This record gives sequence, C-alpha cells and structure tokens, in this order.
Amino acid sequence: MPHDPALRIHDLVFSYPGAPKPVVKVRHLALAAGEQAVVTGSSGRGKSTLLHLVAGLMEPDSGEIVIAGTPLRTLRGSSRDTFRGRQIGMVFQTFHLLHGFTALENVLAALMFSTLPRPEHKARALSLLERLGIDRPHAPADELSVGQQQRVAVARAVACRPALVLADEPTASLDPENAAEAVRLLQESCRESGSALVCVTHDRSLVPLFDRHESLDTLAEPAVQGVS
Amino acid sequence: MALTDWNIVSRSMTGRLFSTAVTVLSVGVAVALMTLLLSMKASGRAAFERGTGNAQMLISREPSALTSVLNSMFYADAPGGPIPWADFEQLRDSYPFAWAIPTQLGDSYRGLPVMATTTEFFTAFQPAAGESFRVAEGRLFEKPFEIVLGAEAAERTNLTVGSVINLSHGAPRQPGTHVHNEFDYEVVGILGFTGSPHDRALFTDLESSWTLHAHDRRVDQLGDGVKTTPADIQESDKLITGIYASLGPRTAALTQVLSELRRDPDWTVAQPADTIRGLFSIVSSVDQILVAMAAAVLVSSGVSIMLALYNSMEQRRRQVAVLRVLGASRWRVFNLVLTESAAIGLMGGAAGVLGGIVFGTVVSGILEARLGLVVRPSLPVDGYLAMVLGTIVLAMLAGVAPAVLAYRTPVVRHLRPIG
Repeated sequence: MPHDPALRIHDLVFSYPGAPKPVVKVRHLALAAGEQAVVTGSSGRGKSTLLHLVAGLMEPDSGEIVIAGTPLRTLRGSSRDTFRGRQIGMVFQTFHLLHGFTALENVLAALMFSTLPRPEHKARALSLLERLGIDRPHAPADELSVGQQQRVAVARAVACRPALVLADEPTASLDPENAAEAVRLLQESCRESGSALVCVTHDRSLVPLFDRHESLDTLAEPAVQGVS
Repeated sequence: MALTDWNIVSRSMTGRLFSTAVTVLSVGVAVALMTLLLSMKASGRAAFERGTGNAQMLISREPSALTSVLNSMFYADAPGGPIPWADFEQLRDSYPFAWAIPTQLGDSYRGLPVMATTTEFFTAFQPAAGESFRVAEGRLFEKPFEIVLGAEAAERTNLTVGSVINLSHGAPRQPGTHVHNEFDYEVVGILGFTGSPHDRALFTDLESSWTLHAHDRRVDQLGDGVKTTPADIQESDKLITGIYASLGPRTAALTQVLSELRRDPDWTVAQPADTIRGLFSIVSSVDQILVAMAAAVLVSSGVSIMLALYNSMEQRRRQVAVLRVLGASRWRVFNLVLTESAAIGLMGGAAGVLGGIVFGTVVSGILEARLGLVVRPSLPVDGYLAMVLGTIVLAMLAGVAPAVLAYRTPVVRHLRPIG
C-alpha cells in the first residue's frame, strides 16, 4: 500500500518482568514512507527495546505497531519472520555480520528472504556494495575495516528495499568524523531504496543530521508527537 | 548466484573444519567397521562353503570331523592319523560309493601344500557344487613326478608348464621339513581358478609321494646316497590321509552309511558342508558380538555429532539470531542445523562404506594369500545404500538437540553488542 505510513505506533507499552515501571512507552509515533528520524534517549531508556518491539522480536504489553499498513499483532511465527525479512532492515551497533561469510554473502543472506527473483540477487548485492564503496566484495567480512563493515551492514539492511530500516546506535563503534559519514551513507541508502529510517542513539551530535528528531521522553507524553 | 541454505550449512562446516573432519572421521570409521563385518559375514560363509563342493563325506583318522575338514579341504595343517592303502581299499569296497578319492597331504612347495591323489579328484570331485575343475594350461598328471598347479599356486610361484621343481617332505611350517632334491617334478598343467582353497595347492600322484616316503625309509636303513624308484615302494609306505567320498544321487543310503561308519572307531567321518555350517554357528555368536560392538561405535559417533554441533551452537547462536532478524523462521534455523548433521552423516556414511570396501579388499587379499579362501566381501547395492541412509538418520537424530537449541535461540539476547 504505497500511501500507508512506513511506521505507526499507538499506546505502546512494554515492561520487563518484575520491573517497577515500563521501559518503553510510546503514545504515538508515525513515520511516512521514506521519512527519516532520529530517536534519542539516554542509556538504559529502552531505545534498543523499542527497535526490537518494532521488528517484532518482542511482544509489547499493550499498544499497536503497524508497519507499511500491516499490524504486527496479526502476524505470528514464520509469517512474522517473513514479513520482517521483507519489510524491515536492521543495522546494529556492532554490525553483527555473519562470521566466515564474505561481504557479498552477507548481503545475499538478506536477499534470501526477499521477494527479489533469485537470479537478480548477486547483481543487486554487488551494485549496493559498489555504491557504498566496498571494492573487495569477496573478502571475508571479518577482514574488512570497521568502516567497511559498517557499510556492508547498511547494504544488508537496505538490500530487500524494506519499508523501514531500524538503526540501533549505528555510529557507536566509529569516531565522530566517520560517524557523520556513516549516517550520511545510511540516509542516502535508505532514500535510494525508498525505505523510512528510524535511528536510535544516545549521541545527540547526530540530531542535526536528521530532519526530524524525537526523544523517548517526549514520545511517552500524552500529546501526539510526530507526523502522520 | 543467490545464497542458499546449503551455502550457510557448508560455510558452518568449513568454518569448523577440524571439528567437522574429526566428526566425519569417527562416523566413517564406525560405518566402515560395520560395512566390513556385515559384508564379510555373508561372503565368508560362502567362501568356506565353496571348498567343500560336492563331497558328501570326508573320511579320515583325524581326532574330529572339524579338524579333518580344515586340514584335508582347507589345507590348514598336515593331517594326522595315516590310513594304510589296504584299509582304504577295504573301505571303498565295503560301501556303495559313487566315488571315493584317496588324498594324501604332508608335502609342500615353498610353503604351499602339495596334495597327492588320483586324477579322479579332478573329474569326480567338484570344488564348488556344479563347478568342476578346469585345466587352464597343459594337462593333468599321467605318471609319477608330474605335478599340476592350482591357479593361485601358479601365480604365486611364477611356475609355468615345463618348470621343474623339488618338493619338501613335510607340511609348511612343520619342523623337520626337508627338500627332496633327488626327485625332480615336472609341471605339466595349471588349473583354472575355482575360488576355493584348492587354488593354492599343488597336485601330484600318490606313487610319487609314496616314493618320497620310501626314500626316507631307505635312507634310514641304508644311509645317504641310496637311489629310490617307485619299484622300491613297500606296503608300509602306501599311506593316505583322507578320503573324499560321495554316494552320488543315492542320498537315501547316506544316512545308513554315515551311521555305520560313525559306529566304527577306526574312522572319523565328516559331512563337510554341515561341519562348516556348524563352525559358522559357533562363530556367528562372535559375529553378533562384533556387529553389536560396531553398532555401539556407530551410536557413540552419533553422540559425537551431537556434542560437536551442540558445542558449536554456543558460538553460533549470534549467527542464528542474525538470520532470524534477516527473516529466517525458527523452523528454518532448526532445519539448517538438522541439514548440517545429515550432511555429516552422509559424508561419514559414504566414506565409511568406501572405507569398508577398501578394508574388505585388503582383508580378503590376506585371507586369500594365507588360507586360500576367496572371500569377496560385498553387500547388495541396497545394503550399502541402507548403511548410508541409516547413518544419515542416526546423524539427524543426533542433530535434533542442537537444532532445538537453535530453534529456541533468544534472538534479542544474542543481538546485544559484542564486547
């Protein structure tokens, strides 16, 4: 559905068992298709947990998460996994590239779960890696520099042209100069793939790089935040 | 080119190459052992049954039927209990034998047994039922000091028709064995391959053998330098060690003849095929223990598959978590681990079957060289396939626990930043 927002969250609440209060509380958040936002919060405020909830890896206590028009609660088991593979890309702080696989294979791994015809996988992966400046796509990912590994992680996240890319502290492993460049590449890649981007970070220096900024504190407030 | 589940599985295996190789090896050794035992079990019995052929009886003065069959038909050792020729003639004339062939063992040539007999041995006796001896080259012996070689004996000695040899008086490995250089034997024929212990024997006539005995007697009496000819043979020299016999199609009389002979304390009567079957019934319990041991080794190698995969799962759970984020379902990661264990089973099973065949070939070579037993260890193709499939199933069972671990991997916990 082209006009559906990439992400819509209503009254989302999540608590860890035994915790006195919810770790995640989002009254309302909506992201239009292709929109990019940074969500800030201090350490331990539930930034990663929010992304895991949006990715359907955890179940909220209450509330609703809708991605590209599909409420996550309607998906269970393998259908949710398939949906995640096709509609959600993720970039992690320590990249989580597949150990022992080449840069190309890491991107191909994401395409295994896409709707893209299999004969087109390699061309898509190679073109993405080339655009991101990876000149050794057949090198084991472990042997690449940290900056290049980050780029491979970005390529893998956008390979399926997902509706939404979730980036969890994507620059935490980089120095400030490379961090800005990494965010630029992430933003560009998402734009080219038509993917919306939610980047969570504790690093407030990234805020100026995004058109839209949300903080976990304001998202928890009753007033409606964000764009629909 | 797209990435496939198999690429992920194979990368996982090559990523832990040493562990995978050791696991495959342990499975392979167990399967090889099992293949060898099962294939030898069937073909070993068949090989033993070949030597007894169509002889309904083996009559001797050995202490037991089994010893007599092993010595007189499988050339295990020189038979004891010599039979005077007159006793043989009396026996032959007392029963309605279709044929009764005298044999005498005790001489050798370069460690190979020499059987003295009559040409009836080649015409009436069949080393395997329905398969007669065949002269591949030359002819059978017609007069004293002519000798015919079994197919393997010819191969091992490189003798040809026309070669002249000297025999040793005494069986192979027997103390006191000495070479009779004074008697030249001429090779006049080579038999075709029969797949029986007779292939590694040499055959000559009784008169030559008795002449050797007469010569030893005369040397004792008259001293060295004495010349001996067949004319010097005395009645006491005319000894044999066994009688291959058959009543032919008159099987109804067999029970009665056997019963009468067994009542006579002078004779030991064996029914060769039954004796061998009896031997195998004793050996089969050892067989079963060996097969059970091989099965235990196979199960323990299944446990090693489980441990190898289970231990590796601790390192691979982050990979599983990443695959789940990329879109792999729980069942898909479960199947990836199960596929890996099946692949280890397939490699181990295939390597084991091949190893079993190679081991079998080596063992059969040794048996053939040492005992003249032609054991061709083999199973039907279905048997080999069943071994490989069984190993795959066992490996998959061993992979279930690690696969469950992969299935239940808590994704979020394993996505936490490394370090």
